[in-house]
Amino acid sequence: MLKYTVKKLIMMIPVLFGLTVIIFMILHLAPGSPVDLIVGPNATPEVYENVTKSLGLDRPLITQYFVFVRNLLKGDLGTSILQQRPVAEMILQRLPVTLEVGVWALITSFALAIPIGIVAAVHRNSKLDYAAMSFALVGISMPTFWFGLILLYLFAFRLGWFPVSGYGTWQHLVLPVIAAGLTDAAVTARMVRSSMLEVVGQDYIRTARSKGLKENTVISKHALKNALIPVITLLGMRIGWIIGGSVTLEIVFNRPGIGRLMVDAIFARDYPVVQGAMLVLTAFILLGNLLADILYAVADPRIKY
Amino acid sequence: MTDLALDRDKMKRKGRFARFLKQLFANKMARFGGTVIFLLFLLAVFAPVIAPYEYDAMNLPEMLKAPGFGNILGTDEFGRDVFSRIVYGTRISFTVGFLAVGISLLIGTILGALAGYYGGALDYVISGITDIAWSFPVTLLAIVFVAALGPSLINMIIAMAIVSWSGFARLVRGQFLSLREKEFVQAARVLGMRDRRIIFRHMLPNALAPVIVLTTLEVPKAIIVEASLSFLGLGAQPPTPSWGAIMNSGKSYLMEAPWISIFPGLMIVVIVMGFNLFGDALRDTLDPRLKD
Repeated sequence: MLKYTVKKLIMMIPVLFGLTVIIFMILHLAPGSPVDLIVGPNATPEVYENVTKSLGLDRPLITQYFVFVRNLLKGDLGTSILQQRPVAEMILQRLPVTLEVGVWALITSFALAIPIGIVAAVHRNSKLDYAAMSFALVGISMPTFWFGLILLYLFAFRLGWFPVSGYGTWQHLVLPVIAAGLTDAAVTARMVRSSMLEVVGQDYIRTARSKGLKENTVISKHALKNALIPVITLLGMRIGWIIGGSVTLEIVFNRPGIGRLMVDAIFARDYPVVQGAMLVLTAFILLGNLLADILYAVADPRIKY
Repeated sequence: MTDLALDRDKMKRKGRFARFLKQLFANKMARFGGTVIFLLFLLAVFAPVIAPYEYDAMNLPEMLKAPGFGNILGTDEFGRDVFSRIVYGTRISFTVGFLAVGISLLIGTILGALAGYYGGALDYVISGITDIAWSFPVTLLAIVFVAALGPSLINMIIAMAIVSWSGFARLVRGQFLSLREKEFVQAARVLGMRDRRIIFRHMLPNALAPVIVLTTLEVPKAIIVEASLSFLGLGAQPPTPSWGAIMNSGKSYLMEAPWISIFPGLMIVVIVMGFNLFGDALRDTLDPRLKD
């Protein structure tokens, strides 16, 4: 088990390396230097040169990259050009805002999707199944942020049940969590259903039935456990989806999370902040995948370590 | 091959294709999805005929007018007709969806075919890169690419293609790995055919079915990513009537003019649902093994 975990961790190294290279390169090769932003259009060439030097931008790209990675390993994500504050500090401040929606959305999604998927699979081709899968189809076809806009309009603007924007109380959480959780539940329910259907078709289920076991026992004792194993992997994938979607949702609900920080920084051309926010968001997604891989191995002894 | 044999061959192929179509459209999902896609495609092609106004025709006295006579879906903050903008927006969704997926299909197929056909060190390198690309979150990475390239429609298409080819590469590589061992490929090789001919004439056509299915299911994803990026202001720039961009400007007027944001989103739901239904049906018909 330990060996497997270590192996998975080692396999993450090239991914992380690739990630830092990509993020570093694309932002440094981007047209327009951050120096322009600091010194303004009327600066003399001397001022321009000094600022370039002080930011280390006169050094070769490869040196800059290694400095970037060295600082990264020390937990230093650089300094915001616009706010002159450490990027790491800005991100830490906003991380809880993003995570609280993400965690609750994931819980909502799985709490809905697992029972719905199982019921749909057990009653395959029944009216119940069609109804569940029709809703799921609408759910997967809907952009999360649009669903968020609809919820915002109905329940905040029209009915006034929930606050229009901001964060801090549970009332602020309800609408974004529903928007992210329900659309995600649609994807997950479809996968739970197909995973369950696959298991129900296996020989050992037929054996269990032919032994005369009650259908409930067959489903809950024999099928369910095996059907839920692929769902664990899904958990890791969904983390990425939910975090990716949080960017647009934070714009809709005006929540000061990392996604919003990143989008604002993109328009301000505050590259260190974009870099930092992107790295942290992606790191969460990769960690989610890793966690899922490990849980998967724990749940399924057939997996070779 | 004689002309006669060639004709017979062609007829056989035509018969197979007709049978496939018949089988596909026996499926209710395929009929519904296909009809939706076709109708929306007509909307895109005939946009100038169908839209009552130009998509950028401002009319300030008429701004934020509710849906009703004259402007069936209302007007936006510049008095532009929302219906006309949505109709023209269909063009953007189709263009971005097909172009972005088309380019990633091309990149992914080439890389996957090379890795699967030659194997060895080349496979090792390509598979490594593919796996890394696969583990990146598509939307986030596209956002960063657009941030670097500068927000525009073209840059968004490039960014989307760059970040989403890995699915195709994995699929084609897997197909090629199993095809490589098939007798007809071995035979072609023994006959001394060149690699290029084997790959393009013999292997690729046999790997096509799942690739077509994946393509159909990738287009709706691309349409949603396009809408998300444009909603963030990172895609099509004003006054381009991308559905995401319309919702972006509409969100500031959500309270007094919700129709600006609601209708473009509804269009996305319809087009994405159409592609998803059609893709699912296509998968069931072409390659039942792929059924999830």
